[in-house]
Amino acid sequence: MAERELELIFGPQHLGMVGNLSISLNVEGDTILSARVKPGYLHRGFEKLMEYRNWIQNFPLVCRINMIESEPVEMVYAMAVEDLAGIEVPERAQYIRTMIQEMSRLSCHFTAAWAYTSILGFDTPAQWAMGDRDYLLDLFEDLTGARVYHIYNMPGGVRRDLPEGFEDKLLAFLDAVHNRLPDYNSTFFENRLFYERASGIGKISPEDAIEMGGTGQVLRGCGIKHDIRKLEPYAAYSDMDLEVPTREAGDAYSRVLVIRDEMVQSVSILKQCIEKMPPGKVYEKTPNPFKWKVPKGETYVRVESARGEFGLYLVSNGGNRPYRAHFKTPSFVHGLVILERLLKGANIADVGNIMLSLYVIAPEIDR
Amino acid sequence: MNDMVDLLKSIFKGTDARTLGENRLSVTTPRESVLAVLDYLKASGFYQLKSISCVDWIDDNEFELVYHVASLESPLHIMVKTRIDRGKPVFPTAMSIFKNAGIFEREMHELFGVMFEGNPDLNPLFLDNWKDIPPFRKDFDMRKYVKDTYDSIPSFEEYKWQKEN
Amino acid sequence: MKNDKTTTRLKEAKGSVLTPFKAIKYLFQKPHTLRYPFETKEPSERYRGFHLNDWERCTGCGNCADICPNQAIDMVKIEEIEAKPGKRNERPRIDYGRCCFCGLCVDICPPGSLRLSRDYIHIDHSTDSFKYIAKDEKTEQESFVPVDNYSVLNASLAHRKVDYEGFVSDLEHCLFETERVQMPEVEADERKLSFMEQVIGYSREEARKEAERCLECKLCEEACPAHMKISDYIDAIYEDMPDESMRKILEDNPLPSICGRICTRHCEKVCSVGIRGESLAIRWLKRFAADSVRDYKEAVEQNVSKPTGKRVAVIGAGPSGLSLAYFLRLRGHDITVFDALPAGGGTMLIGPPLYRLPREAIERDVNNIASLGVEFMFNTKVGKDVMFKDLLDKYDAVFIGIGTSKSRSTGIKNADKCILALDFLKENKIGKGTKISKQVIVIGGGNVAMDVARVALRLQNMQCPNEETAIKTVSLEDWDIMPASEDEIQEAKEEGVQFNPAWGPEEVVLDDEGNIKGLLCKKVKSVFDENGRFAPTFYEDQKMLIEGDMIIEAIGQAPDFSFIPEELFKELKFTSRRKVDVDENGMTSIPKVFAGGDIVNTNLDAITAIADAKRAAQGIDNFLREEV
Repeated sequence: MAERELELIFGPQHLGMVGNLSISLNVEGDTILSARVKPGYLHRGFEKLMEYRNWIQNFPLVCRINMIESEPVEMVYAMAVEDLAGIEVPERAQYIRTMIQEMSRLSCHFTAAWAYTSILGFDTPAQWAMGDRDYLLDLFEDLTGARVYHIYNMPGGVRRDLPEGFEDKLLAFLDAVHNRLPDYNSTFFENRLFYERASGIGKISPEDAIEMGGTGQVLRGCGIKHDIRKLEPYAAYSDMDLEVPTREAGDAYSRVLVIRDEMVQSVSILKQCIEKMPPGKVYEKTPNPFKWKVPKGETYVRVESARGEFGLYLVSNGGNRPYRAHFKTPSFVHGLVILERLLKGANIADVGNIMLSLYVIAPEIDR
Repeated sequence: MNDMVDLLKSIFKGTDARTLGENRLSVTTPRESVLAVLDYLKASGFYQLKSISCVDWIDDNEFELVYHVASLESPLHIMVKTRIDRGKPVFPTAMSIFKNAGIFEREMHELFGVMFEGNPDLNPLFLDNWKDIPPFRKDFDMRKYVKDTYDSIPSFEEYKWQKEN
Repeated sequence: MKNDKTTTRLKEAKGSVLTPFKAIKYLFQKPHTLRYPFETKEPSERYRGFHLNDWERCTGCGNCADICPNQAIDMVKIEEIEAKPGKRNERPRIDYGRCCFCGLCVDICPPGSLRLSRDYIHIDHSTDSFKYIAKDEKTEQESFVPVDNYSVLNASLAHRKVDYEGFVSDLEHCLFETERVQMPEVEADERKLSFMEQVIGYSREEARKEAERCLECKLCEEACPAHMKISDYIDAIYEDMPDESMRKILEDNPLPSICGRICTRHCEKVCSVGIRGESLAIRWLKRFAADSVRDYKEAVEQNVSKPTGKRVAVIGAGPSGLSLAYFLRLRGHDITVFDALPAGGGTMLIGPPLYRLPREAIERDVNNIASLGVEFMFNTKVGKDVMFKDLLDKYDAVFIGIGTSKSRSTGIKNADKCILALDFLKENKIGKGTKISKQVIVIGGGNVAMDVARVALRLQNMQCPNEETAIKTVSLEDWDIMPASEDEIQEAKEEGVQFNPAWGPEEVVLDDEGNIKGLLCKKVKSVFDENGRFAPTFYEDQKMLIEGDMIIEAIGQAPDFSFIPEELFKELKFTSRRKVDVDENGMTSIPKVFAGGDIVNTNLDAITAIADAKRAAQGIDNFLREEV
């Protein structure tokens, strides 16, 4: 270690840290020489806990892996179990699942907007984002009965049908969001200060992004059009008119703008869902949970969560419990591999900037 | 996808490939050919390593390592599987082929105890000062560990008795 | 739907520094926030809050405790509730320190009594009240805060709001299957032409699918008089192991082929799934297990213990006699069974018709018992071929399982021209058969009357196929209190039996040659008096003549105690319902003499007889071991 080198712990208790993650930085002056990410503050052992509960009892557990966006996790587990057991989901349930995935994506992007804007110091759009997200949580409460941990997907469909008047409330909310976007743009996304702060920071080339295993905005911010909703459509996405937004530069600025474009896409997909929703039943009953044994096998399913590809490798040995469940979360690679690489040579002030433009969420790393 | 199955079977001895539904291929190979298969797949266009998983088959006394590779253009996802001995789990690292393999191997080392030769950084990732056997193995009883390490919440009757005495 | 292009193409980020100040307009708008607790937001209609439980509908089955992923629910005993078969006196208690409000307990609750309310705030000084026995406090108005005085602050200190239901159970989206796998049966038009067995039986996939529905709450085991291990044997059928299933069945019931066809199903009446759906087909699953295992001895190990040298005589080879022989033989005693009929089965041999209980089913069970070394003396009537006193002297214990073998007669004028039900059924099951006439009248409204009517109908279809025939029943009871089971009445109607409920027989009308012409009946006013005793009254002026040339009386059966000598019969005590009085070991008031079956219990079915035999077997075993 050179004389002027210091070790700085950008620890779990830090005003600039969102989530419980610790980064140990070797700094010289204001520049970071090397970084080492130390996860583990939120390791709850989910994958081991899942082996002690039967297939249906795991749903209240699995949604708690990621507090901010619990929907893709539930959906990927339900899809994996349906794949192993050979269950067909009714069409209306697929549309409702698409709708709730997009609502969850919108809610997660609002949280991203809150985190990123407040870490750069723009508190006003941060509070707006959190305020708008709250109306979305109210809509979740109307539909599923809880605001954050929905426990709404079950193998075979969804747990209840849409309540009365839900589509109107959702459309009113979407119109309100649409009207607010110009304000967000003028305060933050088109702001000169944001451009100065974020352009050129955390730049990654497309080859490096692919090689290090990046997905989601990391790829789309470098100009690669990659979206699992288009590559391998699940739920009702094959019916939806969807564009994949990309930017060329590969830095924090482009990644955050990609997030913003995706919010507009989500609004459009939600409107299409409401228009195209077919009638029918929403749940195909499975055998009762005390007796249900899923046949032997293994599967890998994936969905496009707000941050990238979320996958689950599920192994069953013919019993009434999962034998092994292994989650492939986007933040694992982004936070442990790409972040360490991008922090080399950056300023201390940009640590939060880079981390949140990659949208690293600590509970997903540790599970 | 079927041509890939035939190609793999013909090139690598002892390899067996099966399709699991649409877009999923499961390739079982003996441990000597794993790195060769991965190299071949990377050259054929499956250049991204998504994850490495490990499954503990305690009845067979074996660990099963699963390498998930995919490409960005096609929806096909390939799982390369191999079995290694559970008593002494050692395996060469895949970092020479895929640069980001190191972090997955670090996680599997901590949770299952698999030693990856050639990986420079196998320090613990999640757990601090862990003295027991690797926790995700099947012979680690999690409920017993919780009961022994942490004070369990007393039942209602015990609690009342404690309050009265 | 096209994207709105204007908002996606952002303006160059070279705007003026003043554009953010446009946000000032929000200073004058209404804020999103609510001034809690003065302004509150109503939770949604499906909100998942604290639990409510309707104690009237809750059966204490414990499914909610079994499914909770956090083991937050316990079942606690409540002293004020009376326990009966099908309703335990336990209610769920929820620990809110562990509950995650997932609502799985609501989705699995079979009666739908457990619901979640829209309350979510609770404040208390001590943690005791957080382990909460969920109640539906709609009736306890004092514990609720009145509507006009309701505020979250008040409610959190006092308690809940009335009628504040949130997440409730829904039969279309619940976690158990409400519809049964239908048992394939022969259609009425085809089955009434012969004595083929009406029920075809489950295939392996159907049985497995039906067994999958079981929620393992074990309420059925409490209701079964023999306390069979129902949940275990259904599980074995689900696992595709009929041998294991038979092993579990034979522990408590040695007559599975018979019971799988004719049992009265106390279990299905209390099945949890049957509260709001169709109950599990437990009887058909037992039939499937018994039919899948061809040879009981090959499938199940039935070990006879070391011989004890004690000898027991059993009078009557009906369900109670056969079961007693089985249980005692396994304990090593020497058993001899006496019966006046030519084969084993007792009333089951002569009573239930061939379309319900074929002979092979009875033979399979009886042969299994005989193969263990039980000695059967058929065509031996105690009191004629063997004397009761000799049995008492030569054997160490005697069991009386004679059942009700004598049919009762109405005793009306010319009743001697009528045929008695049991004689008719016996003649057609193990005798030479009756030549049936074209117009038959059956007196009675119970299951035996239905059996008689349906047998007579088949005989008519077989013996006089193309002629006009009719079967008419006459019963004192009207539809609402007819004692026959509903499926029997339904099936009899489908086959074409004509019913005349609420008519009482007065006289058998004969023609000049002394043959039956018809039955004169009078309209019934009431059957039971105000104390519930059988005392029918009639409208003497309303009469009807029903035409027919054969009349069969099926009004009930009584036991035949004529084999017991006078001096012993005086010592035999009877209960107030005219049943033989036995103690908890099954022993009568005469020492060494035990009893069970229809002469002891009031259920009058096979499974209760088997339960009596199980109890008496334990009693006889203790008695014989003490005698050493």
